[in-house]
Amino acid sequence: MMKSMKARAKAGNALIYAILSGLSFIWLLPIVWLIMSSFRKEPGAYTAYIIPKEFTLDNYTRLFTETTLFNYPRWFMNTLIVAIFSCIISTVIVLLTSYALSRLRFKMRKPMMNIALVLGMFPGFMSMIAIYHILKAFGLTQSLFALVLVYSGGAALGYYISKGFFDTIPKAIDESAMLDGASKNTIFWKITLPLSKPIVVYTILMAFIGPWVDFIFVSVIMKDNYQNYTVALGLFQMLSRENIYQYFTRFAAGAVLIAIPITILFIYMQKYYVSGITGGSVKG
Amino acid sequence: MKKLLILLATLLLATSLVACKAEEPVAEVKDVTLKVWGSQDDQAMLGEMVEAFKAANTGVNWTIELGVVGEPDARTKYLEDPEAAADVFAYPNDQVMDLVNAGALYEVTINKDAIVAANIQSAVDAATVDGKLYGYPMTADNGYFMYYDKSVYSEEDVKSLDKMLEVAQAAGKKVFFDVSNGWYIASFFIGAGNTFSMVDGKQVLDFNNETGVKVGEAIKAFTAHPAFLTGDDNIFKAGMGTTIAAGVSGTWNAGDISTILGANYAATKLPEYTLGGVATQLGSFAGFKLMGVNSLTAFPEEAMALAEFLTNEANQIKRFETRKLGPSNKNAAQNEAVLADVALSALAQQAPFAISQNSVAGTYWGPAEAFGLALENKDYTMSIQAMLDALVSQAAGE
Amino acid sequence: MKGGTQMTNGLKAFGKRIGLFFTHFSQGDIITKASYFVMGLGQFLRGQWVKGAAYLGVQLIFIYYMLVSGISSILGLRTLGTKLQERVWSEERGIFVVQAGDNSMLMLLFGVAAIFVVLAFVMVYWMSVSGSYQNQMTLEAGKKPLNFRQEIDVYLNEKYHITVLTLPVFLTFLFTIVPLVFMILLAFTNFDRFHQPPGNLFTWVGFENFTAALWKDPLKSKTFIDLLIWTLIWAVFATVLNYIFGMVLAIMINKKGIKLKKFWRTIFVITIAVPQFVSLMLMSQLLADQGTLNVILQEMNLIDKFLPFLSDPTMAKITVIVVNLWVGVPYSMLITSGILMNIPTDLYESAKIDGANAWVQFWKITLPYMLFVTGPYLITQFIGNINNFNVIYLLTRGGPLSLEYFQAGKTDLLVTWLYKLTVNEQNYSLASTIGIFIFMLSAFFSLIVFNKTASTQKEDDFQ
Repeated sequence: MMKSMKARAKAGNALIYAILSGLSFIWLLPIVWLIMSSFRKEPGAYTAYIIPKEFTLDNYTRLFTETTLFNYPRWFMNTLIVAIFSCIISTVIVLLTSYALSRLRFKMRKPMMNIALVLGMFPGFMSMIAIYHILKAFGLTQSLFALVLVYSGGAALGYYISKGFFDTIPKAIDESAMLDGASKNTIFWKITLPLSKPIVVYTILMAFIGPWVDFIFVSVIMKDNYQNYTVALGLFQMLSRENIYQYFTRFAAGAVLIAIPITILFIYMQKYYVSGITGGSVKG
Repeated sequence: MKKLLILLATLLLATSLVACKAEEPVAEVKDVTLKVWGSQDDQAMLGEMVEAFKAANTGVNWTIELGVVGEPDARTKYLEDPEAAADVFAYPNDQVMDLVNAGALYEVTINKDAIVAANIQSAVDAATVDGKLYGYPMTADNGYFMYYDKSVYSEEDVKSLDKMLEVAQAAGKKVFFDVSNGWYIASFFIGAGNTFSMVDGKQVLDFNNETGVKVGEAIKAFTAHPAFLTGDDNIFKAGMGTTIAAGVSGTWNAGDISTILGANYAATKLPEYTLGGVATQLGSFAGFKLMGVNSLTAFPEEAMALAEFLTNEANQIKRFETRKLGPSNKNAAQNEAVLADVALSALAQQAPFAISQNSVAGTYWGPAEAFGLALENKDYTMSIQAMLDALVSQAAGE
Repeated sequence: MKGGTQMTNGLKAFGKRIGLFFTHFSQGDIITKASYFVMGLGQFLRGQWVKGAAYLGVQLIFIYYMLVSGISSILGLRTLGTKLQERVWSEERGIFVVQAGDNSMLMLLFGVAAIFVVLAFVMVYWMSVSGSYQNQMTLEAGKKPLNFRQEIDVYLNEKYHITVLTLPVFLTFLFTIVPLVFMILLAFTNFDRFHQPPGNLFTWVGFENFTAALWKDPLKSKTFIDLLIWTLIWAVFATVLNYIFGMVLAIMINKKGIKLKKFWRTIFVITIAVPQFVSLMLMSQLLADQGTLNVILQEMNLIDKFLPFLSDPTMAKITVIVVNLWVGVPYSMLITSGILMNIPTDLYESAKIDGANAWVQFWKITLPYMLFVTGPYLITQFIGNINNFNVIYLLTRGGPLSLEYFQAGKTDLLVTWLYKLTVNEQNYSLASTIGIFIFMLSAFFSLIVFNKTASTQKEDDFQ
């Protein structure tokens, strides 16, 4: 009896391994193609094959040495700075907002939740120009600070996921802390937050990714200030019809390098994905 | 309370004193601050030109900044914030209508006759709206023609599209033509004498007349030919020399194609196609790049002088030498190096059959692409006449 | 119904405030009365130095702002500009000197902003006045008003929500609500390419766009309806499939006995880390008619003619949904695995004792729990997919284009269609009008679902 169950579990796991490997293959295929392109010696945006005929490291080194036309290192640092600051600000905003909407009870709570839900629904490409002019009224355009504000300004509207998570933390924990004289502020920082690591990881990751992948807002905010571009917008410049053939492989290398900080951040933060945080340690 | 009031009063007094002192002495040399927009590829070259301009115009304290906005983005970036836009900026002539409608450009009045005389007529026409000149012609190379592989075709072969297809098929190769693109597909209609015009800002086309239907049938036959190949620039460059024997494209690809084909590199005007049994020369769009002066500039005369300088004969030759951009200046176009350039001379051969893009509205491109795409996909559910009727009415915005 | 009662409650509260405004004044002492005119007096003179000074500062800044630009901004909203750009020939300079006119777009934007500044000021004003009255009451009752330290303590505990939400609400107003109101108001103007600033003015036209936009033109209304249907189909598939596949993936990785959990998760996160515009561009090259996938399949003799992944209408629709799975599943995997770990393990243990197999456990425990936690997330995903500009635009640009539609293709969503209309025709007012339709549709739908879902109805249950 035990043996057959074990065997079945083993067979089940083998099946899962097979599925996971298959899916990984599909998911990684375009990425592998991208990486291959970044090591490809032959120029051109399109090839009918995946594995390059000749390999080279040039695409990477030249990203950092030939900077007169495309200043990749500078853009990379810009993006890193913007990503770090906007990540900190928006993570704090999202978590505090969701905490307030999940754990605190006040009059405007329900209306606020409804309004926040509705606000995200208007197709917003005209809003970028409005935001640009608002920032301009404050004298903030074409600066990295303005970008940080833009990326973290709307963060509060994405409260749903962490609110849903906070909702699952047993209230009894809060109540016992309150009996010990803890203020709401203390409860949030000392109790709720440590219990919510997976969702904090998710929030940080999403906030960190934003500046690396956006090329629309940054183009409206930065306009002709080429030095303050972020990598995504900068890489886009390599795709003009005059440049794409010569620069595509370098473009691929630039894209691969973007993926590195994000992946590192994730690998580092994965240790907080520990199973059964509330279910295991504190039984609700 | 009292202390606070005194503090406030002193503060106010202090600031007003500072303000008084800051009164400026009468300037001896005029300070002029200008900004120029150009594409990133042009920045180094523009920097040199600007230095030359400063050296040639002493007596003014120049501050000239460069900003990166390529020609295709000029209109969008300008309209987002006209005040922050450059005083002098480069734009393609297909944006001239919108920019003039938006009141974005200064009319060129200083030295107008000299500028008109120095540049080829089609470039001047492209910069002209309602008889007024709104730009300084800068390049005349934004058009398309036929690149071909000399190892496959003789000079005689490339005069006829039918012959080209036949030879390509025999060689197991393809002729590349991006028919699902309003810019390229127009060449069939232009060649047949169909017209573009603008009435009250609306696109008026006659593509659905008798000739137009014949053109449609000719495109249908062309796209159905086994040697026909469509796609984008990337597909074209990946296949040129191996699977592709010839293709329609523009000067921006000249460097890459000549590297790919090496000794077999050649280019010429577009071929003739068979329209209802008659050989007809394919037409095309001719595109120009222009320099414009922002209507909100604080220094119009100086901005105009700079724009004129940046587009003069010497600088057009410099543009050709550094970036292979074809000049619109008559003398520059006769420069030996320019005449010897394969792509530019192919463009020059095509020029008599090309029309300006000024009377093409933004509403034309979508339906034209849809029409080309249907034929490429051999989707013949609608008759040619019905498709062209739809194209014409959609382009008019109806 | 619910919104209705909320609204009447809001109005009642507002009316009550107005009443209090006058009773406080008549019952107030001289300081309270004076603080109706000089903000912060009632705090400053009663020992709340910091608060009083802050109120006074707000009042001074507000007066300065109103005089310098606020009043003219609000007045400008009436006409959206009267002074047209002019060109005057100057014989001496030899040019047509351009005299700048009003910029209607900026006048609209700053008019809207000024109104919000006034509203914010009224709120602060009310706080200062009522606070002053409360201080008077406290003193009359023989107590002392809270000092700065005590006040901070209150804001860290009883009024913690105010501390926490002030900045988010402020930023939301600045970066979301003001631009949104601006955009909505555009629909009532004639802002198009014939009325493009800075050379032209645009002005109010009332509801003209709403009638002219769609109803008068059969092709436009057909396009609108067809694209609406496709938008909804797309949103449903994109949302539901992403969610289910993401959850299944998360469950597989989290299953006991599966090794290298971190490795598997990282693999899928890498696809998030590569910017969408890069990966989608690669995808569109991979899947094009002459694309790499077709070439390879042809070389392997698996097919003899290319598969029209992106050029056949039906195939293209399937392709975008499938590619969107590639894009979206890693995200939902991340979210769901965070939450899956939080499911109380005793729920499963008791189910195991009852002999429930994995399948039953999924349906009876996992799914209800997940839906409870992520219900609102699903709604926002659905709305996000209705407005999913990136995936469609970067992958197909809405193509294959079709002459059956007005300036649109078979995979165009309403939002990409709007974008094309603004780019091709610069018809901003029409785009805003259609934007309002989408907005009302999705707001109506999601508010109903949001307020009916278990997670908002019974949000205290699991706590």
